[in-house]
Amino acid sequence: MKRVEVKLSLPVVAPLLDVIRELSSELEKTLAAPQALHDLDQDFRGAWIGELLEGQNGDLRALLSLFDGEFFTEGLVAFDSSNAEPIVRACTAFRLQLRERRLKSLSDEALETGDIDMAGLEEPVRKAFMCYLFLATVQELIIQHLDSSIIGS
Amino acid sequence: MVVLNDPVNLMSYVVMVFKKVLGFDESKARKHMLEVHELGRSVVWTGLRETAEAHVFTLQQWHLTAVLEPDETR
Repeated sequence: MKRVEVKLSLPVVAPLLDVIRELSSELEKTLAAPQALHDLDQDFRGAWIGELLEGQNGDLRALLSLFDGEFFTEGLVAFDSSNAEPIVRACTAFRLQLRERRLKSLSDEALETGDIDMAGLEEPVRKAFMCYLFLATVQELIIQHLDSSIIGS
Repeated sequence: MVVLNDPVNLMSYVVMVFKKVLGFDESKARKHMLEVHELGRSVVWTGLRETAEAHVFTLQQWHLTAVLEPDETR
């Protein structure tokens, strides 16, 4: 089984975990990407959203479980076929929520290009943006290194 | 079935999801991803409603904004 281990900088990443845990609580009962389901009947829509939420919560737990004892002692996290897909999805869920709740003051263009003066941001926004970039990096890493072997079609 | 643009998802992520969920090859996945990015939407699949619903659900699990629309060419 292909496995990728990544050594992260504890002083940089550990403070972002507080943001990620807060986002996880916010998303417990809310879809990160609210969907238009107007053409479904009410019962079906409820079941549909319930299943999406259940899956989303499982994905968020998979990402949070990366940051266990080995991360706090060695700074190591590992991706393989058992966690890559849920973690990639969780990164997207957290990034959507960051944009919606904490990065409203930044334009979509700025978020997309990353062309932002970090020093000019207030601390909570700076931390949220760092988290946004960190999650994108995790996604890219998994997609680049594991896509064809464990995520591919 | 239509996928709408969003400002968050990475291009590489959208390509990966199209390949995985819809079975597209790399070039087809990139073509539809660029349509979504540049035009705001792309019709990624047409066919029976039940199958389309299953695809929409799976794309929504991956947090893409996917909607069903009637095929007006039929």
